[in-house]
Amino acid sequence: MEIRLRFALLLTSFFVVWVYGATPIPNKQLLGIDPQDLSFYKSNVIKCKDGSKKFAKELLNDEFCDCPDGTDEPGTSACPEGKFYCQNAGHTPIKIFSSRVNDGVCDCCDGSDEYNSNANCTNTCWEAGKVAREKLKKKIETFKEGLIIRKDEVEKANNAYAKDEADLAKLKSDEKVLKELVQKLREQKERIDKLEEEERLKKEKEEKSLREEEEKSKEQEIKADETQIFDTMENHEQDGSTGNLDIAVESGTDNMVESKKASTQTEEQHVGEGHDDTSESSGGISQDGEISSYEVPKQDQDDSGSTEELSREELGRLVASRWTSEGADQTTDKIGNVEEDLMDQDSSVAHEHEGYTSETDDDRSKDDDDDDDNFEDDRDDEFEDDHSSSDASYIADEYEKPDPLDSIEVSSPTWLDKIQQTVQSVLQAFNFFKTPVNVSDATHIRKEYDDTSSKLSKVQSRISSLTEKLKRDFGKEKEFYFFYDQCFESKQNKYVYKICPFKQASQDEGYSKTRLGSWDNFEESYRVMVFTNGEKCWNGPDRSLKVRLRCGLKNEISDVDEPSRCEYTALMSTPALCLEDKLKELEKKLEQMNTRKPQGHHDEL
Amino acid sequence: MIQYRPKMQLAGSSPGSSKAHNLVRVKILCSQPQFAMRRSIVRSLLFSSSSAVPATMAPLPPLLLRYLVVILIPLFLFFSSASAWKKDEFRNCNQTPFCKRARTRTPHSLPRLIVSDLLISDGHLTAHLQPSLSSEDDVSAGDTPHPRPLVLRLSVYQDGILRLKIDEDYSAPSAPSKQRFEVPDVVLPDFEDRRLWLPRVSSTEDGSISSLYLSDGFEVVLRHDPFEIQVRRKRSNDPIISLNSHGLFEFEQLREKKEGEDWEERFRGHTDTRPRGPQSISFDVSFHGAEFVYGIPEHASTSLALRATRGPGVEHSEPYRLFNLDVFEYLHDSPFGLYGSIPFMLSHGLKGSSGFFWLNAAEMQIDVLAPGWDDSAAAGNDRIDTFWMSETGIVDAFFFVGPGPKDVLQQYASVTGTLAMPQEFAIAYHQCRWNYRDEEDVATVDAGFDEHDIPYDVLWLDIEHTDGKRYFTWDRVLFPNPEEMQKKLTAKGRHMVTIVDPHIKRDDSYYVHKEATDKGYYVKDATGKDFDGWCWSGSSSYPDTLNPEVREWWAEKFSLKNYGGSTPSLYIWNDMNEPSVFNGPEISMPRDALHFGGVEHRELHNVYGLYFHMATADGLLKRGNGKDRPFVLSRAFFAGSQRHGAIWTGDNSADWDQLRSSVPMILTLGLTGISFSGADVGGFFGNPEPELLVRWYQLAAYYPFFRAHAHHDTKRREPWLFGERRTALIREAIHIRYSLLPYYYSLFREASVSGIPIMRPLWLEFPEDKKSFDNSEAFMIGEGILVQGIYEEGQKSVSVYLPGEQSWYNMRNGAAYSGGQTHKLEVFEDSIPSFQRAGSIVPRKYRFRRSTTQMANDPYTLVIALNSSLAAEGELYIDDGKSYDFEQGAYIHRRFVFSNGKLTSSTIHSASLREKKFSSSCTVERIILLGLPSAPKKAVIEPGNHETEIEPGPLTLRGGASSVALVIRKPNVRIADDWTIKVL
Repeated sequence: MEIRLRFALLLTSFFVVWVYGATPIPNKQLLGIDPQDLSFYKSNVIKCKDGSKKFAKELLNDEFCDCPDGTDEPGTSACPEGKFYCQNAGHTPIKIFSSRVNDGVCDCCDGSDEYNSNANCTNTCWEAGKVAREKLKKKIETFKEGLIIRKDEVEKANNAYAKDEADLAKLKSDEKVLKELVQKLREQKERIDKLEEEERLKKEKEEKSLREEEEKSKEQEIKADETQIFDTMENHEQDGSTGNLDIAVESGTDNMVESKKASTQTEEQHVGEGHDDTSESSGGISQDGEISSYEVPKQDQDDSGSTEELSREELGRLVASRWTSEGADQTTDKIGNVEEDLMDQDSSVAHEHEGYTSETDDDRSKDDDDDDDNFEDDRDDEFEDDHSSSDASYIADEYEKPDPLDSIEVSSPTWLDKIQQTVQSVLQAFNFFKTPVNVSDATHIRKEYDDTSSKLSKVQSRISSLTEKLKRDFGKEKEFYFFYDQCFESKQNKYVYKICPFKQASQDEGYSKTRLGSWDNFEESYRVMVFTNGEKCWNGPDRSLKVRLRCGLKNEISDVDEPSRCEYTALMSTPALCLEDKLKELEKKLEQMNTRKPQGHHDEL
Repeated sequence: MIQYRPKMQLAGSSPGSSKAHNLVRVKILCSQPQFAMRRSIVRSLLFSSSSAVPATMAPLPPLLLRYLVVILIPLFLFFSSASAWKKDEFRNCNQTPFCKRARTRTPHSLPRLIVSDLLISDGHLTAHLQPSLSSEDDVSAGDTPHPRPLVLRLSVYQDGILRLKIDEDYSAPSAPSKQRFEVPDVVLPDFEDRRLWLPRVSSTEDGSISSLYLSDGFEVVLRHDPFEIQVRRKRSNDPIISLNSHGLFEFEQLREKKEGEDWEERFRGHTDTRPRGPQSISFDVSFHGAEFVYGIPEHASTSLALRATRGPGVEHSEPYRLFNLDVFEYLHDSPFGLYGSIPFMLSHGLKGSSGFFWLNAAEMQIDVLAPGWDDSAAAGNDRIDTFWMSETGIVDAFFFVGPGPKDVLQQYASVTGTLAMPQEFAIAYHQCRWNYRDEEDVATVDAGFDEHDIPYDVLWLDIEHTDGKRYFTWDRVLFPNPEEMQKKLTAKGRHMVTIVDPHIKRDDSYYVHKEATDKGYYVKDATGKDFDGWCWSGSSSYPDTLNPEVREWWAEKFSLKNYGGSTPSLYIWNDMNEPSVFNGPEISMPRDALHFGGVEHRELHNVYGLYFHMATADGLLKRGNGKDRPFVLSRAFFAGSQRHGAIWTGDNSADWDQLRSSVPMILTLGLTGISFSGADVGGFFGNPEPELLVRWYQLAAYYPFFRAHAHHDTKRREPWLFGERRTALIREAIHIRYSLLPYYYSLFREASVSGIPIMRPLWLEFPEDKKSFDNSEAFMIGEGILVQGIYEEGQKSVSVYLPGEQSWYNMRNGAAYSGGQTHKLEVFEDSIPSFQRAGSIVPRKYRFRRSTTQMANDPYTLVIALNSSLAAEGELYIDDGKSYDFEQGAYIHRRFVFSNGKLTSSTIHSASLREKKFSSSCTVERIILLGLPSAPKKAVIEPGNHETEIEPGPLTLRGGASSVALVIRKPNVRIADDWTIKVL
């Protein structure tokens, strides 16, 4: 169709004025010629449009192809490259491939393509045209309304964008102030730390001589414990080194299998010794482990393993799963999860070792760590981290709850003033320290330091998230600005498709979530949103999603499809696509359709 | 954590993981594409046995292990998902006792076999065959102290065919109660009518040799002691084929089980009870005067000629295995058996051609022996020895004397039949995918072809269209109106194919299962219960189509009434009919399963697929009241499958090597009777690079069966999805096929009459051109067209050998090339090299349509390539393209001859004997002349003394064609009439 349109436009530009030729062209010879093209055919010797040769007028539509481009046979099927023009009065004129001429199938609604075949074509143009016109009218209405909405949205978006920019500027200046405060507090805190340390050393010295004898035996015990722990740590570090890994890989798996049980036990012991909060994760592991033990033999993608232990049904399913991803997909996912959990466990184990070695962290500092972790994750706008994706509920929460940083009221000047005042007063009140340090003073200073630096990091993360947001391409007129903080959902059978522009898209089924992709970009001049690098498909590509946008009054996903395995497409209507140019084009088209009435019909409009 | 153990054990305790074994595997795989290489490396890492771990290696620290697990599991999954062939799942010769036993035997090590009691009876020659009892150190004498004699029977048929049968002597006192299985329904019913009544046997004076008349110039010689059969030329006494020249004949006779003897065979957890014990047969066959042997499909190979599998220069190879198997991601070059089996081998050399066919449907293994395999110093280059082994059955062997290669093919065809004449739509382009999901998808794809002006004739639906893999049903959510959907296709002259596999879902609410259960129509397991195996439909049973009553019942399932949602434009695809049983031994049915008449599955395994194919084709024939030619594509096949429909090469992969091996595979099928075959365009598994896909279309446009197909995990690959340029290239490739349809249809007719394939090895047309004997890259379409595939990415030039003495005309640009030479040619993106042979006339149609249906009334173009004496000839066959009226003479068969500046069209068969007539108003719109030295301006057409112009013109109407030929413009003679056109 595009080719045909382009072709028609090209011709139009050449022959704007149509003069009736002196030589009349016999009717049959006129077949399939675009009226705008008639003047081209009026001379007695006609050129092939591709310039390859010339032909005499008698050869026009004589059922023999002379021009490779089909110039001489617009009305027959003789040239493979030819195009046949159907007038289709009452509807839209079209050009069809020459292969359709007299092939027994009615292609033009006026039936003009079957002038010499057995096909009995009736003229359906007016009826079909009516439907098409109605449809077009509705579309135009939608465009008109949508255009208004769009204008409004664009205005709002530009305001909001300007506000974001202002906020960012403000945040940056706040950051500067806070940084200075934190710096001052840190100096104070360090001073206190130093004093306290001196104090402690002094005390220790005093007590040392007193308790030296009785402490000796006890200390030896502790030392022994520490050695053990250090040994384990060394192993751990070694394991991480790639050199060792290579050796292990080469040495084959038998060894692994044999020592596997032992290792598991060792790990379990470690976990047992660990803090309470790890027992939860170890529980999770063993649960997943069970799943894997059930699924893994089925998986058995490789052959040399014996399949004898499988039930006959399992074997059947296993072999079937080679051709299909069914079953295997699940298993892969499960194993993937197990693997991730394993990694998680590793990190938690590592964490514990840190705890053992440093022995200085108390519960509170751990909580702080956790807070920091959350912050870091909050800053993650995109889903680049595979591991976080395994935690479905987490993702859901993150995108459902409002940005936690919004709780910092950027516009309100009071909070910063308050902090400044408090810090100022604290600094003044505790300008000088003596030993021994007053415990409540020290606590006060530390608390202020912690509070303020936490504020600072919140401001910083807000800055980075805003910066990240403002880097985005929101369209020519920022018409997609409000997409940034929105997700759109569509339920199709058992799946809920969730599309968060500029972020990510997923397919949810109950509690399980499949990542279809992370935001990539717009394509086709803002007509398509592309999400790529979704979860890998078994035996297939990484999942991806293309969302085709079209004009509509609401932001709505209307259709999600998977035309090729793991390559999803969706349709979304949005006012952002109700464009003025397109509206004009449609109105013009309607006008044309209305003017081309076939004879004998009355325009009922 | 501990739950990981089973998996790791599984990986670590590979039964066959001796080091040598792994080495062999790696070696084999090294020639494979990247992914196979990667896999083999990972395998050898994962599976090397514990002994491979250096003793100095300290036990792995526990945490290291955990990392290993974390790292290896994803690796493992990655590689395994990308991996391919499951070698260990299939038995090799050493794991197959009968093969191992036979293969280690040395020439003449067995007791001599002696022929006695010669008798002419009923026109056959019969005799007894008995081992000599003289040698006391006979190894096998312990097993059978007083062996029963075997019965040998020789029969001679018209056109130089010898049939040899050797079986147990059931009349002997200690004869087995149960007869060995003879394969029915493969040899044509009328074959016996062609038997020559043997009048007498002439024996030499000493009685050591008897000879029989075979045909003019050929005789059969039976040597009595030791037993040997030789087919030879009468005058020169030159042998052609001989059997047991190396004394390797062995026939394990049925016997009682001895106490304590264990007949069971176990493989990968499957136990074969083998209630009747060892019963294998093996023998040697020598092809004299042969330079190459061909045939015995189905194996994937880049070589058309069979390579030696044993002897000097062959380091390690399996014999060619004939055992129908569903092989997941098969290798492009391996002697292991694939989906079908045809135990027919041809030889060819400058001295002539011959053929040998062993009608036996049990597992067969065939060694091609390299010269010197038997340590004989006299190993000439003039002979190829082969060694045939089968698990059971009888000797029922056919010897074909040739002497030309086409004679051998015709002789073979007179035994097993020629291809069933397909409908015209079936030889056009087919669009398939696993799966076109729903009616909307079907409509969109159909519209896509129209939108891009690409013709296609058939849209296919794979297993997902059914209601839970219950064949003959529809998933009514996805396909609520199947009749409507088919009617929409029919309105554009197109057809639909749905899949119907032999595994019937064991679901009591499924009528097919219920009927089959109630009537006892399923194959039984060794205990006599309905065999229950796992396939797409889950727990499934398999109709016992060996039973004619079951076939009758199965055929009825295809009636429009029984198959709800079907219409007369719906045709069928039989997949998985090896049969594929996912949880069975070697992904198939246990050998001790029982068929109709107590026949064990081992006895008929290779013919099961043919019976299923046959029953399905019968069903379609009945549906159309015997008037509509069936179309059934089958994956499994056996000798004779050509009578039931088309075959494709199964689940190939999207890589260049598989594109390359598709040609020898299809050529081999053609040589063994299966003329209507093709390979999945693009490769079933994996995603072809666009360049590969285009090249595949360009090559496949010449396959007899032309279908694109893809696995459901692959990206969509309808022809228009790879950019405008590639869409144009694919369109052009498909158009070439459509333009050649008149020529192809005529070749299908020829194949259905004579058994000469459509796609032919060069040596079939040039039997005396030695350079063509081992050419696996180029092939002929009929006598007139030579095609050279392009099998490499980014290939810039290609060497093409053009055989014979006449010139060849490049079909792209009309350029002439001399024959008997290798030409180095530039390779173009828009086509693969193809040539029309000087001296040929190729009928074409240069109008392009949506499908073949709209082409019926389109005018013809004749392309005439003149030879050095300015002559050429060709044929055109036309009928209604659908019905069997052609059998009553309703066809047009023209011969075109150009000589002395005059083209004559005459009919090949006289109309007098015809009951029905076929008429056509089609005309010839254009005649293209290549190789005319002068440039005449006018032509005169008789009758009518009508003049028309001759002008320079292009060879094709596409792609900015320049004038490279002379074109007779609009002669407008009717194709059905006699006429002459004289060039002035």
